[in-house]
Amino acid sequence: MIARSLTWSRHNLFGKPFDVLLSLTVIPGTLWLIYQAVAWAVGMAQWDIIPQSLRVLMIGIFPADQAWRSWVAVAIIAALLGAALGCVFAFRTRHAGFLALVLAILVSMTGVNTLAALTAVLVIFASAWILTSYVPMSRRVLIPASFTGLIAIFAVMSPPGAGLWGGLLLSVLLTLVTAVLSLPIGVLLAFGRRSRFSSLRMISTAYIEVMRSVPLILVVYWIWILMPVLTPELNLADVVRGMVGFTLFYSAYVAEYVRSGLQAVPRGQTEAARSLGMSEFDINRSIVLPQALRVVVPPLVGNVLDIFNAAPLVFIIGLTDFLRAGQMILANPQYGNRTYEVYSFLFFTYFLVGSLITFVARKLEAHLARGSR
Amino acid sequence: MTLEHTNATGLTVERDLTVARRRRNRIRYHATQLAVVVAALALVVLFAVAVKEGLARHGIKFSFSFLWDAAGFDISEGKTFVFDSGFWLGFSDFTSDRSIAQAFVAGIVNTIKVAVLAIVLSTVLGTLLGVGRLSTNWVVRNLSFWCVEFVRNTPLLIQLVFWYFAVVLHFPPIAAAAKFYGVIISQQGLYVPALTWQGEGSAVAIALASACWVAVLGLVFDRHRTTRWICLGALVALPSLMLATGTLALDFPVASKFQASGGTSISPEMAALLLAIVFNSASYIAEIVRGSIDALPKGQWEAAASLGLGRRDTVNDIILPQVFRVVLPSFGNQYISLTKNTALGIAIGYPELFNIYGTIANQTGHSLEGIVIVMASYLILSWIISAAVSWADRRLSNPGAMR
Repeated sequence: MIARSLTWSRHNLFGKPFDVLLSLTVIPGTLWLIYQAVAWAVGMAQWDIIPQSLRVLMIGIFPADQAWRSWVAVAIIAALLGAALGCVFAFRTRHAGFLALVLAILVSMTGVNTLAALTAVLVIFASAWILTSYVPMSRRVLIPASFTGLIAIFAVMSPPGAGLWGGLLLSVLLTLVTAVLSLPIGVLLAFGRRSRFSSLRMISTAYIEVMRSVPLILVVYWIWILMPVLTPELNLADVVRGMVGFTLFYSAYVAEYVRSGLQAVPRGQTEAARSLGMSEFDINRSIVLPQALRVVVPPLVGNVLDIFNAAPLVFIIGLTDFLRAGQMILANPQYGNRTYEVYSFLFFTYFLVGSLITFVARKLEAHLARGSR
Repeated sequence: MTLEHTNATGLTVERDLTVARRRRNRIRYHATQLAVVVAALALVVLFAVAVKEGLARHGIKFSFSFLWDAAGFDISEGKTFVFDSGFWLGFSDFTSDRSIAQAFVAGIVNTIKVAVLAIVLSTVLGTLLGVGRLSTNWVVRNLSFWCVEFVRNTPLLIQLVFWYFAVVLHFPPIAAAAKFYGVIISQQGLYVPALTWQGEGSAVAIALASACWVAVLGLVFDRHRTTRWICLGALVALPSLMLATGTLALDFPVASKFQASGGTSISPEMAALLLAIVFNSASYIAEIVRGSIDALPKGQWEAAASLGLGRRDTVNDIILPQVFRVVLPSFGNQYISLTKNTALGIAIGYPELFNIYGTIANQTGHSLEGIVIVMASYLILSWIISAAVSWADRRLSNPGAMR
């Protein structure tokens, strides 16, 4: 044992003079940093602020007596995510134990009074996962179901006022809506960019290039001030205007991903379909697009991470997303000295969600690469 | 068999049909083309009319003449072009009696300042991190991996506000600031020694400065490696000569009780924005560098090893030169997104272009005209970066080199 670890460290830590130098400087520095961080987290940090303000962090200023609405929204989101997961990875019995572990961790973090609601959400997640794993018919209705689900979320969440949406739920909703809506627009733009008609090609290219050269924050702000000027009678909520801005911006990115996928489809496919006498529209819809989308699923999941990471930018139009909710708590003079506790929690949650999305993207990439071999 | 049934007429008829079909297709093509153009134009006109009416309802007129009005607000830091001394274009601090156009210029200058510094620093740090991820040292490899993963999987905005509110604003106040070698790190900002020009009117000084400029040009543009080395040597020797003769002087910052004077100062906002953007971009650049090192054929490593090159020589002379040719386009994209990211400076109050636009829109109400200017500025910045990168790409790529 000792001999093996000695061999290991000789190979991996002290292989060459430069490695010895690096190890001798980096290891003590890292250990010291870890010691400082742990000492602070265990000894000095007052973590009680997190459970106390958990509701604000999760749903912002959404009224507490209406919190059941946000639970319904969370359940719908869980169902959609579970159903999407089932299309790629089949549910296995060992996953049930994993879900139970997640439940235990979440309940231990949030307190016992959320046990029932969290259990319900996870059961819905698992049943949607099982449904799409073993009933192939249900995969066909996934796209209409996701649109219906988003509309249902809007219907449930709207009555108290769309201006009250906030917290982590707002970030997730914004990400979901943008990801779902930017896909069809992006596909249209990608086809427009390689259309036979030079005018369509030019318009699509100009749109994509302009959107990719300006900052997202500018687009969101621009849409936000422009929409009341254009449609004064509609009086749209800030949230909706933010979603429109995000969708218009990310459509350009989705279009570029889809275009790279379209280029990856061999020419022979189109030619074979054409020689079978299919119309151009049919070729694109049922031969080219499915193969192209299959290639670009991993980068599109990466794009979802980009959207989620960009969601805090809605502070510019006065919305209270997860980050802003944390800052709101810190603005309370009573909690003024808890900066590091709150930021640690925010960083931890963002990193958790982000790593989860990255993990799914990597798994998908491996999965799809195996399928096409 | 009658004439109608022979092949000859059949061919003619078919040819006529083909011609007719071709013509029909051509007409359909042009008709669609026209319809698209008309629809796009109609959309633009409709949009313009709707905006104009919407603005008229609020009593605002769409015009750019507000650009020449006096600004009437101050910017915490920022230099702009001025025409005070008659013919010559000057460059001095923005004050509230300057025009709004000059405020925009100050914003663009601030954006470019952060972008250029961040591009240089993040390229260096990113390359180090990317090479670190492939290090033979287990600790360095894993440390680089987790740093990159952490930064890439969290939003830039939270990194930015963390750097500002939790790091930079927790630096010691200037009276108790950390000082070493003339660098002062404090809540009120970072102070570094600055080079100042003392050679007013001296012919020798001007000659030396011109020689420096020629050396810079030679270093960047000359095709011969030896000449470039000579230029680099001259660039080290000439400034030291100028320092020795007193044409250039180092101006050290001096800390008093509440502020420091002398030297060059970096405001806390700029420091936080720079730190956040450099670390963020460096992680993405590290990922690009690692990806392209991994993508190089293994034969390159093996050939270098069989020639007896050590690992450091292999990386420096075999791997990185090839990698830099492959990664340049990706670096260009990263530089563009870095420049766009500077717009987040508004979250901590750094007066970059978007922040100044916000102030102007609040003060004058001309938010739509301002948007046009800001969008155009970012477009031009992006174009400049991609032109520069493709220039460097063409210059670095040897004919016949592996792509």
